[in-house]
Amino acid sequence: MSFRIKKVVVLGSGVMGSGIACHLANVGMEVLMLDILPRDLDPKKANLPQERNKIANAALQAAIKSKPAPLYSKSYVNRIKTGNFEDDFKAIADADWIIEVVIERLDIKQHIFAQVDEYRKAGSLVSSNTSSIPIHLLAEGRSADFKQHFCGTHFFNPPRYLRLLEIIPIAESDPKMIDFFMEFGDVQLGKQTVLCKDTPAFIANRIGVMSGCKLFALTEQYELSIEEVDALTGSLLGRPNTGTYRLQDLVGLDTGDKVTQFVVNNVSDDEFFEPMKGQETPAYFRFLLDNGFLGNKSGKGFYEKTKQKDEKGKTIINALNLKTLSYEPSVRPKIAVAKQAKGIELMDKRMQFLLEGDSKEQHFLRDYFLALFSYTAMRLPEIAEAYYKVDDAMRAGYVWDFGPFEYWDLLGFAKGCELIEAAQLPLPQWILDMRAAGIESFYKYADGKRMYYDFQAQQWTPVSGTESLIILDSIREKSPLIKNSECTVHDIGDGVMCVEFTSKSNAIGEGIGQAMSDAIDMAEAEGWNGIVIGNNAKQFTVGANLMNVGMLAMQKKYDDLNQMVDQFQQVNMKIRTSKIPVVVATQGYVFGGGCEISMHCDAGVYAAESYIGLVEVGVGLLPGGGGTKEFALRASDAYFEGDVQMPTLISHFKSIATAAVATSAVEAFDLNYLQKHRDQICYNTSRNIGMAKEKVLQLAPGYVPASAREDITVLGRSGMSVLYSAINEFRLGEYMSDYDVEIARKIAYVICGGDLTSTQKVSEQYLLDIEREGFMSLLGNQKTLDRIQYLLMNNKPLRN
Amino acid sequence: MEAYIIKGYRSAVGKAKKGGFKNYRSDDLAVSIIEALMADFPQVDPASIDDVIVGCANPEGEQGLQVARLIAARALGKEVPGVTINRYCASGLEAIGMAVGKIKAGFGHAYIAGGTESMSLLPMTGYKLSPSYQANLDNINYHVSMGHTAEAVAAKYGISRDAADEFSVQSHQKAAAAIDAGKFKEEIVPISVEEVFVSEGKRQSTTHTVAVDEGVRRDTSIPGLARLRPAFKLGGVVTAGNSSQTSDGAAFTLVVSEAFVKEHNLEPIARLAAVAVGGVDPLYMGIGPCVAIPKALKQAGLELSQIEQVELNEAFAVQALAVIQEAGLDPETVNPNGGAIALGHPLGCTGAKLSIQLLNEMKRRNQTYGMVTACVGGGQGIAGIFERL
Repeated sequence: MSFRIKKVVVLGSGVMGSGIACHLANVGMEVLMLDILPRDLDPKKANLPQERNKIANAALQAAIKSKPAPLYSKSYVNRIKTGNFEDDFKAIADADWIIEVVIERLDIKQHIFAQVDEYRKAGSLVSSNTSSIPIHLLAEGRSADFKQHFCGTHFFNPPRYLRLLEIIPIAESDPKMIDFFMEFGDVQLGKQTVLCKDTPAFIANRIGVMSGCKLFALTEQYELSIEEVDALTGSLLGRPNTGTYRLQDLVGLDTGDKVTQFVVNNVSDDEFFEPMKGQETPAYFRFLLDNGFLGNKSGKGFYEKTKQKDEKGKTIINALNLKTLSYEPSVRPKIAVAKQAKGIELMDKRMQFLLEGDSKEQHFLRDYFLALFSYTAMRLPEIAEAYYKVDDAMRAGYVWDFGPFEYWDLLGFAKGCELIEAAQLPLPQWILDMRAAGIESFYKYADGKRMYYDFQAQQWTPVSGTESLIILDSIREKSPLIKNSECTVHDIGDGVMCVEFTSKSNAIGEGIGQAMSDAIDMAEAEGWNGIVIGNNAKQFTVGANLMNVGMLAMQKKYDDLNQMVDQFQQVNMKIRTSKIPVVVATQGYVFGGGCEISMHCDAGVYAAESYIGLVEVGVGLLPGGGGTKEFALRASDAYFEGDVQMPTLISHFKSIATAAVATSAVEAFDLNYLQKHRDQICYNTSRNIGMAKEKVLQLAPGYVPASAREDITVLGRSGMSVLYSAINEFRLGEYMSDYDVEIARKIAYVICGGDLTSTQKVSEQYLLDIEREGFMSLLGNQKTLDRIQYLLMNNKPLRN
Repeated sequence: MEAYIIKGYRSAVGKAKKGGFKNYRSDDLAVSIIEALMADFPQVDPASIDDVIVGCANPEGEQGLQVARLIAARALGKEVPGVTINRYCASGLEAIGMAVGKIKAGFGHAYIAGGTESMSLLPMTGYKLSPSYQANLDNINYHVSMGHTAEAVAAKYGISRDAADEFSVQSHQKAAAAIDAGKFKEEIVPISVEEVFVSEGKRQSTTHTVAVDEGVRRDTSIPGLARLRPAFKLGGVVTAGNSSQTSDGAAFTLVVSEAFVKEHNLEPIARLAAVAVGGVDPLYMGIGPCVAIPKALKQAGLELSQIEQVELNEAFAVQALAVIQEAGLDPETVNPNGGAIALGHPLGCTGAKLSIQLLNEMKRRNQTYGMVTACVGGGQGIAGIFERL
């Protein structure tokens, strides 16, 4: 890389500006965020920085209080300094990157960039986060060096969580800088970078706005309620639960309308939007805008959260009736085809079912998808040279599980073409050419790579940017090393195996334990370099297979259970003590048993967006796969000569006893799930397996296996007593039920090594034995079984 | 032989962890107060002090190593011994009681008695919290944090959130009025605090003087307090706003025998007519004064109605209200200048500080009998009755 970025100036502190500032702080940047001087500058304090920086300060405070949290760790706010355009513009001379996020007005932005041009050091990078102004206009009149180092960098809100970063070069942009931003955005900022052209709304919003407008129109055409459309366009399609209308409420109707108007008024040669020019806004949308019902930020929009509660104590939500323009109590729609489709696990089969039936809802979805396919295909090569970029953008920016061409593949390429033609929608020549060339899908896997069809060169080509990623789907065609119903073990090259969980929600059962054990045996016997435990699913794992545990417990098959828990403990110990390095790669939920597995690995590569926790107490259990033992061990390792020990013991105990879940991998260090010397963070989730493999290869030469420990200091009764007092505080404060107290005391017992009368050193196996006893005794309690059953049936914990 | 209180001084009370004494050691503070006290009596040879009795609720860390001995040696000379005593929030009053008791028993003639506490520098429960395993098996509620005892008292004696918040606002208002009227000026020794720190990469030093109690919030209002969340219990009534503040401070008195008074030509201001302690269920710690007050009255041979002023330590508003209600105190006589909710509660110092405040206010009002009472951690109460001379 020819560029290095450490200091960044963010110009503008609105929702996007402060969100971007926070995310830059997340990845270790030194950030200076500037905004205008307050218009009502208090003359008495006019010289004080806190008064002059009031706008940026207030914005930053609002950002760090917002949810979901924009920072990986609250302490990172120290990485952001604030200032104002009057006093601090000179500071941009020190900046490596200056990103503009001010109000969407060309004249203001041009004025700002003129100043940037004046103060910046030559060679520093400058970009704009605009979503609706052509990038090249922003650089007009600027110096040659400025233009050479200028482009669009378009984040999506909220910047920490939405993975898309659109990079938009201008004609003068240095290609090396664009390459740099594509790489930096990916590796350092953890984003899916997509190279865009300077076309209106770039890629994601162009397609997103079309998708939204089409769904609005079809809602009216098919006379569906907004709840029905939301039910049809959410998780059923692999999209966020907010569906169509709740998403609008979340984004803000005014914001959504502005982007729509912008697209409508600025596109050309666009068969979908051109007819909308000059057309009147639908009555219901006018009604909402005119009344200021702009969505969540104004308390109501398409939906309204009332202050009333129903007989179950739930807040009553009203939904707008689009015809009568009145709010009516929202009802959960009962749609037969939706229910049926939900039962179809395989998405291709589900899509085929949804798009080929004759119900009103199926017609609705068919009309929508065919329009989406046709429109998106027609936009190429206008908005992108290659169609995978559109899919990348929609997945990362709109959190769709599939982009338009991937949905099309689910339906079938030929089938899609046929239906589009039957619906008399246009298809571009390149699609017709592809069909004529006998191409059967938009994507395929070959040689372990994901390939797309380059319709200009007329050949299959690897999707760029994925070379260094390990995508398990791409090696599925190779026969796996080990495979059972819950787990597949792959050869990911260079003598490294990857243990992939494949069960529902990646729940851990005996199959996973067996496969991990067999993989270790095979790796040791055959001289492999090591093992990565990782998968590409949204959630690394939700933890142990509760259904299985609950069933055995209800049937009182305690011997089987005891053996099962023992085996899981032994597999985790085998991970720890095996002769080869085992490295975990996680993302999303890393709960319960998954957390226990990861804590026993030699090292971990944790995606920053990993949500890690030992959550067993929620179902009336304690971590029984070595997790409680591991916390005793970690507390012991933290004690030092002369230490009073109790605060360390309490902080370790608390993570388990309160089922604390880290909201980022960074926070997991504070909760003792991660350890500084062992674990590292990976900003781009899709790179975690690749990085874990590198870690294996780094550890493999001269790897010395760990031995089972015999030297764990436990505090016995004196530790238990202090924990009993702490538990009692929770009970008195009514944060714990009587049964919570019982569970917490069991945890206290295990983590202190039992009711020993003195501090002493014990072995890992001793701790595993008392951990297993504690686990089994809780499983024998009806209240635990009630908790397990309740969670399985209601997907939320029971307090009993 | 009768024992007399000659004089008392205190420091202003600092807000723990953010106030003027946040980095200031409590032993240094104690030395300054005792030196100021002795300076008023040049005719008294410091070496003639028999003992320095220092109340301290967390005698470890900066106030560990039997801190009283070094305070005595530094303030009065190496010949003078010192003893650290601990009865939690009653320690300062207990120290005065011990001095009086020793004189009456004929064990000595002159004592410095009071207390010192830094809540800034020490964790609330000390460095190593380690309750007895057996005690926790027998009765888990023998070791509970003070906030939970306050919730238990509120529930048992029916004290509402509204009443607690209103009491707290009054405490702030009375304290603000007292400060504005300059009432505490004569008893506070201004302390000059040096701070050496690194700012913008450079070593800097400043000196500030702490001379006014820091805890009073003049803008405290009932709606403001009502917005605070319960600090200890879901749906509870005890909040940070209706609890005492954590504080730093020191207060000491000179207590001498009748013979010593004559020998040095001193002028007694009061005598301690009685001091009594009693125990209650540790879970209802806050109600402790209710057992101590009758004992003290009996010792002194007085009726409650004869007590003209009461300094009731406001550990928690709910606890103070429960004591007023259950002990039958006349609210008009209680805490005329506000209490710990506004002025702070530097644990081991508090008993001595309240005694000094009481005696000065009794003088202003020309009263004869006054009482200092406090609830004490672990389920105790203390009450001391002073007769002004």
